[in-house]
Amino acid sequence: MNKSDLKLIVSILGITILFLIIFSMIQKQEAKTALIYYQNEVVQIIDLTQNEQRDYIVEGENGPVVIEVNKGKIRVKQEESPLHICSKQGYISKNTEMIVCLPNKIVIQIEAKNIIDTVAR
Amino acid sequence: MQEKINKIIWILVPLLIVGLLICHIIFKNEGKEYTRNFFYMDTYIYVKLYETDSKKVEQAFQGIETIYQEYHKLADRYQSYDDIVNLYTIHNNTLEVDTITLDQRLYDMISYGKEWYDKSNGKLDISMGNVLDVWKQYRDNQNGIPTIEELKQNDRSNIEDIILLENNQIKNNHVNIDLGAIAKGYATEMVGEYLESIGIFNYLINAGGNVKVGIPQNKNKFSIGIEDPNSKQGEICKIVYGKNISVVTSGGYERYYEYNGQKYHHIIDPDTLMPANHMKSVTVITDDSRLGDILSTILFLMPIEEGQMFIENENAEAIWYNNENQIITSSGMNQYEQK
Repeated sequence: MNKSDLKLIVSILGITILFLIIFSMIQKQEAKTALIYYQNEVVQIIDLTQNEQRDYIVEGENGPVVIEVNKGKIRVKQEESPLHICSKQGYISKNTEMIVCLPNKIVIQIEAKNIIDTVAR
Repeated sequence: MQEKINKIIWILVPLLIVGLLICHIIFKNEGKEYTRNFFYMDTYIYVKLYETDSKKVEQAFQGIETIYQEYHKLADRYQSYDDIVNLYTIHNNTLEVDTITLDQRLYDMISYGKEWYDKSNGKLDISMGNVLDVWKQYRDNQNGIPTIEELKQNDRSNIEDIILLENNQIKNNHVNIDLGAIAKGYATEMVGEYLESIGIFNYLINAGGNVKVGIPQNKNKFSIGIEDPNSKQGEICKIVYGKNISVVTSGGYERYYEYNGQKYHHIIDPDTLMPANHMKSVTVITDDSRLGDILSTILFLMPIEEGQMFIENENAEAIWYNNENQIITSSGMNQYEQK
């Protein structure tokens, strides 16, 4: 193996790494959506790419569950349950992360990509 | 040894390049996404096409614009055009003739409306232009509501006065015909047919919330969100999944005005001459945008239980959002609930 071979191998490796970085950046920019389930039904769909801060209230098994959205992150702020496990969990923001409020039968799930193509109204 | 490695590299590098080229060709074969907005029939129309041939896309967008523009003119009640006989001409002409010859498309829409007057027991009434004009006046001024006497005085047109004859002719009875529940769905269906006729099957059309989709790219079904009628930010209360379907919503939450704390919207019941208040919204899913448009209006004018029975006989499914904020679905909805 001489010097030029080494150069070739290094440059191929370099290009590959560059591609990997570009792809991971594209994925980061993908839209993110939080789905809120009560039992098996989606009761609220929240676009997390809009950098708003807002509270949503959904009806759980033990009463209202307050869900806070803040700069692309989402958490359960307030809820009625014996151990408050889901409000203690804090914010989630990454793809496929989940908050489960078992006593309230509420699940928050994050999906990557824009799951809605269009809206009928 | 060194020669061997050299050889391997000289074989590997061209292979890699060929592989990349093949990948590139495969990616290129996948159509690019093209979008365009139009403004006709009082709404924004959003069209998305997936296509490899950019010249074809340009041609398609021009064709789509022509279709919406012509249907817009045909269904215009407020203005006449030199090149076309439209609803304004039918209503306001001073011609001393017994019959007027119509464009085939206008004739078809009026005939479709008459057909559905019978099928809906008079709930869909295209002869209500005068009553709608009274409501529009109050809505534009945002002040007060019309009295029932004022509405009844203006309700002199009758569906029986709309008489269609052979050879695309209509009797010159000066009826104030309104195609508000028909024209948008009709034009959208024609756009879908046009796109398929030129070989574009991957498309999505959203004509002011009146959605029609073809086949998606890279996945099995389109996901179409249905707007929550209570939300001001355009949040979604349900998602339906499908291809080659039309999704149309009728609701009183989009166009309305408030008077004395009461909301008055634009969908008027022909029996009471007042805005219908059986529900917050109803969404119809069909494979035909014309049917979707007309059925969503009919269902909005009926109590939900009556609508549930009505839709059983149609090739369509529905989602009602009632005044208590509950979602009710028709019996065959589950086919649109799976991804």
